Amino acid sequence: MGKLSIFDQIKKEGGSIFTEFESKRILKQAGILVGETKLAKTSKEAVSLSQKMGFPVVLKIVSPDVVHKSDSGGVKLSINSAAEVKKAYDEILKKVRKQFPDAVVHGVSVQKMLQPATEVIVGTSKDPQFGPVIMFGLGGIFVELLKDISFRVIPVEQRDAQEMIQEIKGYPLLQGYRGKEPASIPALVEIILKISKLIEENPQIKELELNPILAYRNKAIAVDARIILE
Amino acid sequence: MEGEVSESERSALSLFFEPQSVAVVGSLREGYFGGYVVIKTLLNAGFEGRIYPVNPSYQEVLGLKAYPSIKEIPEKIDLVLIMINRRFVPNVLRECAGKGIKAVIVVADGFAERDEEGAKLQNEIVEIARKAGIRIIGPNTAGIVNSANGLTPDPYEPGYKKVKSGTVAICAQTGMINPQAFPYADLHYGVSKICDFGNKCDVDECDLLEYLENDPATKVITMYLESIRDGRRFLEISKRVAAQKPVLILKSGRTKEGAKVSASHTGALAVDDQIFNAACKQAGIIRLEKFRELFELPKIFSLQPLPKGNRLGMVTFTGGVGVLAIDEGAKYGLSVARLSPEITKKLNAIFPDLGKSVVDIGPPMAVNNYMTIYSEILKTVLEDGTIDCLFNVIWTSPFEDFVKEYVKFYKEMQGYDQKTIATWIYGPSIPLINALSSRMEDLGFPVFSDLEIAIKALGIAYQYSNRKKGEE
Repeated sequence: MGKLSIFDQIKKEGGSIFTEFESKRILKQAGILVGETKLAKTSKEAVSLSQKMGFPVVLKIVSPDVVHKSDSGGVKLSINSAAEVKKAYDEILKKVRKQFPDAVVHGVSVQKMLQPATEVIVGTSKDPQFGPVIMFGLGGIFVELLKDISFRVIPVEQRDAQEMIQEIKGYPLLQGYRGKEPASIPALVEIILKISKLIEENPQIKELELNPILAYRNKAIAVDARIILE
Repeated sequence: MEGEVSESERSALSLFFEPQSVAVVGSLREGYFGGYVVIKTLLNAGFEGRIYPVNPSYQEVLGLKAYPSIKEIPEKIDLVLIMINRRFVPNVLRECAGKGIKAVIVVADGFAERDEEGAKLQNEIVEIARKAGIRIIGPNTAGIVNSANGLTPDPYEPGYKKVKSGTVAICAQTGMINPQAFPYADLHYGVSKICDFGNKCDVDECDLLEYLENDPATKVITMYLESIRDGRRFLEISKRVAAQKPVLILKSGRTKEGAKVSASHTGALAVDDQIFNAACKQAGIIRLEKFRELFELPKIFSLQPLPKGNRLGMVTFTGGVGVLAIDEGAKYGLSVARLSPEITKKLNAIFPDLGKSVVDIGPPMAVNNYMTIYSEILKTVLEDGTIDCLFNVIWTSPFEDFVKEYVKFYKEMQGYDQKTIATWIYGPSIPLINALSSRMEDLGFPVFSDLEIAIKALGIAYQYSNRKKGEE
C-alpha cells in the first residue's frame, strides 16, 4: 500500500491532474532521477530557495489547472539573481491569474537550471484495444512537428525499450552528432522500464509525460513531468 | 481458472478441424454454391468422417441420406455448417444446442456486416451459443479446411479435388483465401489448415493461434486481419506462439479510410496502426505489407532451414541483379558475404574472375556444357562457410531441355547443404518459368515471383532466426 498512499494523499488534496511538483514526487519514488524542485508559496521563499540551490534557477507555476505552463507565461528560465527571482515570481502569478482567474495555485516551483543536453520525451497513454502503451521520442519539434516517436505496449522488456530508442529517425542525435555529447542509452532504457513498471503497478494512471528529460552522457534527468489519473 | 478455459477452447477447435461427423444445413440443389457443393467437395477430397445432409425437402443427395432437421440425425454430430437465410439461423442453432453440438460454422451472411437487423441477429446467435457452450466460426465465412483429413467443406465449387497438404496454416478475415479463390491444388508448397474468420463473432485470431500452436501439422502461420478482438490477449498469445513457429500477419486498415471501410465490412473496431505495429514487434510477429506476401513468404519457412546468420551469398546473372539484391537485403539487415580465399580460388579456377561476392554466372555460361559448370559453381558457393543464405537466380533459357537438366541437378541438391536458399527464376518463356518453378518447389526449393520478394524471404527468415537466438 506504500505506493498507493502517495496517490491517495494527493488525490485528496486536488483533482485528477497532478502538478509537476506532485508528479515528480511519484517519479522519484519510482526511482527516476528528477530535477530537484522546491515549492515556494511566497516570493520571499522563492528567493531563499534560489540562494540555497545556487543560480541560475528556473521558476514555474504550480497549479493543477494550468496544463501548458510555458504558453500561459508560467515559466521563467535562466534567472540569475535574488532581484530577478522576486520579479519573475510576481510576473508569473500576475500572468496566470489574468488568464485563469479561477485556477487553484499552489505556488511557484524553484529548480536549478540544468546544463543543456539532448531533450527526450517519455509518455504513456491508454489504447482502447491494447491498454496502457508507452511512447518515446526526441523533444521539441521532433515530437510535435515530425511525429518521430516510437511505441510499445506496457509492460515492456529490456529489448523492447532498447528497440524503441533505436527505432526513431533521430537516433543518431542520441549517439552524439557533430561534436554533441552522446546520450546515455542505458539511462534512457532504465527510465522506460521504470515507467512501464510504474504504470503496470498503478492502473489508475491514465496519462503520464516526462517532458523534457535531459539526456546526458552518464545519466538522464526528468526536468518536467505530468501525471493524470483516470 | 484460465488454464481450464483455454483447455476447453482447444478441444472445441479440434472439433472444427478434426470432426468425426459433419452435418450440412442448407440448400441441396445442384449448383455452384450451397450445401450441395459442400457435400460434393467433402466427398471429392475424401473426407474421412460421416456426412449428414440436412434439408426437409430431400430424401437423399449424392448417395447420402438427408435428414429433415438436426435433431432427427440419430448419431452424435461434431460439427455443423449452416448456410441458410439469416432469419432461420437462430432456430437451427437452438436445435444444435438441444443436441449437444459444440462446433458450428455459420456460412450464412447478412449479419453485423450488413445492417442493424443483422447486428441484432448476430448478438442473438452469440447469446444462444454462449449459453449452450457452442463455439462459432463466422458468420459470413467461407469456412475452413484441414488438408490432412479431407475436411474441405467449401460452399463454392473450387473445380479441383484436393488442397495440397503441407505445413502452412492460412487464416484470414476474408473469403479470398478459400479454395474457390486460390489455386491450392497447384501450389507446390502445401497447406495444413485454412480458416476464414468471417465476422469473427466468436472464434478469433487468438483461438486459432492457440490451436495452431499445438497442431503438429503446422510449421508456419500466416494471417490476414482487419481487426483485433482483444489487443492484450493477442499480444500475450502471439508472443508465445511466435517463439515456437513463425507468425506472419498482413493487417489492413492502416489508413483512416481503410479502417472506416473495414468497420462497415466486418463490424469491427478500428486498431491504431502504430500501436499494432508496436505489438507485432514485441510479439516477434513478421508483419507483411502485400497480399501476395501472405502466400509467398511462408514458403521460406515451410521449405527451407532457418539461416544461422545474416551473410548473404549470391549466384546471379549480371552484376546489376546482384547490386539490387544487396540494396534490398540491407533493409532486413542482410550483409554481403565475403567469400573465403579458398572458395574464391576454386571459383577462379572454374572461370577467370568468378570468385566475387556476387557470383555472376553470365560469362561462364558461354562456355561449353553449361549445366556441368553451373552445378559445379553452385555447389562450390554453397560449400563456403562464410555464407548463411543464398539468393539463387536461375535463367530457364528458351529450351525445354534446360528445365529437365535443372530438375535433375536440384534433385541432387536436396539435403546437400543446410543453407537457406531463395530462388528467383527468369527467362524468355513464361510456361518454362512456371514449369521449372513448380518442379523446384516440389523438390523443396521455394521460388519467388520477383527479386525483391525473394530477398525479403531471406531477410525475414534471418530476422526470425536472430530473434529466436536472442530468446534462447
